[in-house]
Amino acid sequence: MPYDAMSDRSDESLLAAYAAGEPAAARALTLRLGPRAFGLAMRMLKDRAEAEDVAQEALLRLWRAAPGWREGEAKVSTWLYRVVSNLCIDRMRRRRGGTVDLDAIAEPADPAPSAESELQESARGAALQAALDTLPERQKQAVVLRHLEGLSNPEIAAIMDIGVRAVESLTARGRKALEGLLRSRRAELGYDDD
Amino acid sequence: MTMTDKRKAEEGGLAPWFEAGRAEAPAPSGDWLARMEAMALEEQPAPRAVEVPVPQPARRGRLREMLAALGGWPAMAGLAAACATGIWFGAAAPSGLPDWLSVSEGDAITALEPASGFDYAMLGL
Repeated sequence: MPYDAMSDRSDESLLAAYAAGEPAAARALTLRLGPRAFGLAMRMLKDRAEAEDVAQEALLRLWRAAPGWREGEAKVSTWLYRVVSNLCIDRMRRRRGGTVDLDAIAEPADPAPSAESELQESARGAALQAALDTLPERQKQAVVLRHLEGLSNPEIAAIMDIGVRAVESLTARGRKALEGLLRSRRAELGYDDD
Repeated sequence: MTMTDKRKAEEGGLAPWFEAGRAEAPAPSGDWLARMEAMALEEQPAPRAVEVPVPQPARRGRLREMLAALGGWPAMAGLAAACATGIWFGAAAPSGLPDWLSVSEGDAITALEPASGFDYAMLGL
């Protein structure tokens, strides 16, 4: 059986079919959107149980929004990414026990010793994830959506509720910070041979 | 330049790191996906009932009843044909027919009207 048996249908069309009570649409949308919601939550939270909770909550909200969904109003994937992102940021703030200082968004990442000590992973992907985890949350969110989820800047702008220029600025600062954090790992992880 | 090319250009020296990150996309467990599918089905609205049009009883209007009283469409067709013929004769009388009501043939009028208006007055009609 193909991974997504209804791959020729758009998310919006499937959501309309879901709202009309078509069980196949429920299955296809779960298979299509569930891994994406979980993947983003996992990259943001780095905790499987929390990522599952967040993705479940986002999917539940989607199913409940389905009957009132107006086709053409919003892209389903963008809406879902937005809900997942907001839920993740709520959890990240709660972990820290405080609110985010907006000034922190503009600050470049601080390659502090604690961050450097986290970069002890042997795998390249794990090293990247560890570096990402040291970024301010909005920078991390923008970089993950842009470079790991592969979204366009306008889509990220809609998800983060900011302008495209602000997205470009966040991702540029995030990349700069990552370069600083990962520079010392290049030789260790074999990138100087590339 | 495609979106992917643009993104690659942005990534620069970080491209290999991001490629490694994309290759290690976190995947959910099969159990979790099965639970999500069950939740989706549980939350799904009931299928919309297909609305079957209720047959309306045939309504007979006054015109339809009058038509039936006259004998239906065949009778109406005969009436229409007779009416059209009459109008045609009035508008363009066939040349082969005699002009029965010509004013110059007063006798013919008398022949057609055996009793005059005077006769009727005398009889008290």
